[in-house]
Amino acid sequence: MFESVLIANRGEISRRVTRTLRRLGIRSIAVFADADAGAPHVREADDAVRVASYLDIGAVLQAAREAGARAVHPGYGFLSEDAAFARACAAAGLVFVGPSAEAIELMGDKVRAKAVAEAAGLPVVPSYTLDEARAAAGDYPLLVKAAAGGGGRGMRVVASPGELDACVAAARREVQAGFGDPTSLRSEGVFVERFLPRVRHLEVQVIGAVSLGERECSLQRRHQKLVEEAPSPAVSPALRERLGEEAVALARAAGYSNAGTVEFLADADDPTTHYFLECNARLQVEHPVTELVTGLDLVECQLRVAAGEPLGFDRVQLRGHAIEARVNAENAAAGFLPSAGTVLAYTRSSQARIDDAIEAGSIVGTDYDSLLAKVITHAHDRATALAKLDRALADTAILGVTTNTGFVRSLLALDAVRAGELDTGLVERVAVPGPALGHDDVARAAAQIEAAAEPASDDPFARTDGWRLGGARAPSWWRLSVDGGDAVDVAVAPGEAPHPRWRWARGGDTLWLGRDGHAWRVRTPSVEEAHQGAVAGDLRAPMPGSVLLVAVAAGDAVAAGDPVVVLESMKMELSIVAPAAGVVAEIGVAVGDRVKQGQALARVELPDA
Amino acid sequence: MRELARLVEDLDAQLARVREGGGAKARERHVARGKLLPRERVDRLLDPGAPFLELSALAAHDLYDSEAPGAGIVTGVGRVSGRECVIVANDATVKGGTYYPMTVKKHLRAQEVALHNHLPCVYLVDSGGAYLPLQEDVFPDREHFGRIFFNQATMSSLGIAQIAAVMGSCTAGGAYVPAMSDECVIVREQGTIFLGGPPLVKAATGEEVTAEELGGGDVHSRTSGVTDHLADDDAHALRIVRRIVSTLAPKAPSPWQRQAVQPPAADPGGLYHVVPVDPRTPYDVREVVTRLVDGSRLQEFKQLYGQTLVCGFAHVQGHPVGIVANNGILFSESALKGAHFVELCDQRKIPLVFLQNISGFMVGRDYEAGGIAKHGAKLVTAVSTARVPKLTVIIGGSFGAGNYGMCGRAYSPRFLWMWPNARISVMGGEQAATVMETVGRPEVGATLKDQYERQGHPYFATARLWDDGVIDPLDTRDVLGLALSACANAPLEDVRYGVFRM
Repeated sequence: MFESVLIANRGEISRRVTRTLRRLGIRSIAVFADADAGAPHVREADDAVRVASYLDIGAVLQAAREAGARAVHPGYGFLSEDAAFARACAAAGLVFVGPSAEAIELMGDKVRAKAVAEAAGLPVVPSYTLDEARAAAGDYPLLVKAAAGGGGRGMRVVASPGELDACVAAARREVQAGFGDPTSLRSEGVFVERFLPRVRHLEVQVIGAVSLGERECSLQRRHQKLVEEAPSPAVSPALRERLGEEAVALARAAGYSNAGTVEFLADADDPTTHYFLECNARLQVEHPVTELVTGLDLVECQLRVAAGEPLGFDRVQLRGHAIEARVNAENAAAGFLPSAGTVLAYTRSSQARIDDAIEAGSIVGTDYDSLLAKVITHAHDRATALAKLDRALADTAILGVTTNTGFVRSLLALDAVRAGELDTGLVERVAVPGPALGHDDVARAAAQIEAAAEPASDDPFARTDGWRLGGARAPSWWRLSVDGGDAVDVAVAPGEAPHPRWRWARGGDTLWLGRDGHAWRVRTPSVEEAHQGAVAGDLRAPMPGSVLLVAVAAGDAVAAGDPVVVLESMKMELSIVAPAAGVVAEIGVAVGDRVKQGQALARVELPDA
Repeated sequence: MRELARLVEDLDAQLARVREGGGAKARERHVARGKLLPRERVDRLLDPGAPFLELSALAAHDLYDSEAPGAGIVTGVGRVSGRECVIVANDATVKGGTYYPMTVKKHLRAQEVALHNHLPCVYLVDSGGAYLPLQEDVFPDREHFGRIFFNQATMSSLGIAQIAAVMGSCTAGGAYVPAMSDECVIVREQGTIFLGGPPLVKAATGEEVTAEELGGGDVHSRTSGVTDHLADDDAHALRIVRRIVSTLAPKAPSPWQRQAVQPPAADPGGLYHVVPVDPRTPYDVREVVTRLVDGSRLQEFKQLYGQTLVCGFAHVQGHPVGIVANNGILFSESALKGAHFVELCDQRKIPLVFLQNISGFMVGRDYEAGGIAKHGAKLVTAVSTARVPKLTVIIGGSFGAGNYGMCGRAYSPRFLWMWPNARISVMGGEQAATVMETVGRPEVGATLKDQYERQGHPYFATARLWDDGVIDPLDTRDVLGLALSACANAPLEDVRYGVFRM
């Protein structure tokens, strides 16, 4: 076994690899970009070397030399599927913990990978050249995929031949943006496949020539996995056997020696109908579910294979059911857009395996993957594993950065999910209910927290207990806005305390609250924010003049600042604008009218005015 | 139960009654109009959870056929946007918030507190103006309705901010409260300001006009400019006021330094046990002092001299104080000791706290010959002229010249409170009866005794604003602490004399 291993990665996967290295007594060497200088993955490793970028092959190899590493574990993402890196490692006398450069190259090219799969007897999706696709109007919708894409990047559903070219161009752009370096595209091509509307995503983990069973990763948004489980609730033992054989056949055909994942798309209702999708020549994000049902440490397996040691098994027994939820820095309510910020407080569940990379004070930017933590549970059956995962997510509080924790909980509670009736479109198709607690509940809790805060000084007037003569105590009044919503007035009675399950943290003028996996931002709105109505919707002429233009008609919706009427006065043009968003209720003037100072011009109906 | 605790129970009941304002029906009508009740207005105006040192809560008690609880107005000191302010809020549930004579007196007293302590004033106006049937005691005199506006102008000229929120009617003279303010807010379709209301206008000129057209928020915020801010509702108006206060110039630095607060070592709850209800029963006033001051620490001055007056330095909720407390009748020595101590505190900028329990100065040939009149005068002079804040609590009897030497109302202490067991009159009822008997009018003496008993009662006193409120002895420490923090807003002038040793 190696004496030392450099981990060419960051975040949770770097920490996860370090854990195995430590357990095996192997010296761990982390690398870090400047932004990660104080990150947990750096502190926990035995040694750490700064690199300009995690994608900088020269810098990573230099770091390995400096720290005396014998092998390099690439994790996932970054250089993990870069054949050039694998070759450069070999050239530098380092063992690359992963498949051969040739296998990486082959699997990285989806067109060639598909050909190999087809030759190895795996079922593949019917595909088209661009010209064939243009002609096959009857087969739409089709799917455009960039050959070098991954994780959903560069994928586009095309509804008709007319949209084909635009989608192809967009797919190319996306791949280039994702990899940052267009020269890393080893095949400039995109290809077009039949699009299956309701499919499950199944994948088989292999190590060497051994299948470790399948994972189901059908719960996805934006073509990216959100929840993964092993085994799949839709796969029978017979199908499992078949999928395993197919995966191993491909690994053999590709000359594959280390850990890899063979992905399939399966008909959601009848997964015996399935097609080879792609093969990932690395450790997957979701590998822990396989670890929990097999009892294996996949990183250890990778290291053994890389060190030329025997694995010691040629088949595995699956035990129970494991489910993983990805906790991402993203806003599920806003189309899963990535979010950023500083983690102000972080509470983890003690009842689950948590692979994470954050702590209070971590800065979450948008430079890297939005994955903050993986919460993984294991139980004798799926229902129990789901229930445990729900509890573990409810115990998770990440404040300071918007995450999908609460969303995933609500998702897991859906009947279809509990019944295992999954497909890759489910997450974006169904309405996932919001948290049970409304803005009023959150505002009340926030007010209770504020009210219970220690007074800023011991000056008698600084006390906050609502002191009144004769032992009476008055409520304290708070006006708060939750997640930018309408202001809520809350009176907190003396002694009223927040429910003990609330977590909170203060960041600037925002109080973050967390409960049951959900998180909210609470602020005291300014007088203007809370009372747009005060500016009133009556628009009057500020000076005498004539009407030059009426920009809207009654019934039109206007935004704050939209011109409603334009006057000419004293040789100046004067725009009379909507004071706030609303609907034009009335226009009192017409073009050419002379108006007096203070004359009503129009009225805008404001919400809640 | 201890007798004092029983008196406090009755006091709490009176306070609870006053908090109900004009009764359930009037409150319902008020709230149905979308208006907030005056105490809720105050609660929402204050910094969240901030204390409110209410003044004269039982004003007009038993007066006007008990139809004006609290005299229809809520006044006090509270913190708004981090700043101690005097708040004056009309209670429209009490006879439309009209001004009875005691309403005027209470309003003026609140303004006086603001003036003495340099506290910005916030008027939450909701009043129909003078209570017409009693106009002779409301309108014409120096300390009547017009004085409100004189005070506003005077305070504004001294840089003491005057802020008004018009949350209801503001008629005739009342119109000048917002008009005389530095900055004011009006609530849309609720607040009105006019010199003459619609009926008066119709009678005078025949013009028919609604209250809103005549003097509503839109008119005054858009056309007349009488008001500066237009609010949607009470809550909004109060938030605008909070924002206005946040723009005021910073307050003057405190003339003295506070230290960290320490609770008393002696249990304040013991006050109910150590204080006898009958003012004639003697006890050691130090039992009271140690239950009021930080760490129960009193650093006595002239402990061995003039022992019927206890003088010493202490802290109350971090504020340094000089305690002057009666421990028996005043002799010449006690008066001299008190005068000396008051001078010391004045020199050192230490506020004075008088704990009054005094039946008077010693009488008799030896004492008159010893010049007790001139020695007493020294105490009265020192108390009158000391410029440090003076706070008086009448914890027992307050009779005769003892009231003067111990900083009674006439000596303009910044604040004065009574305990529910206190009594105040020129002399005790029995003594008055005896005096009248001696001069050959025993029948007058008998009625005087009853009269003195009735008029010396703290409710009688507080109804007429002879004090700033009757307080639970257990509230005394908090009340003093808040009052001292309020007092710290006003700078102190220089002292022009050295300390005269007595």
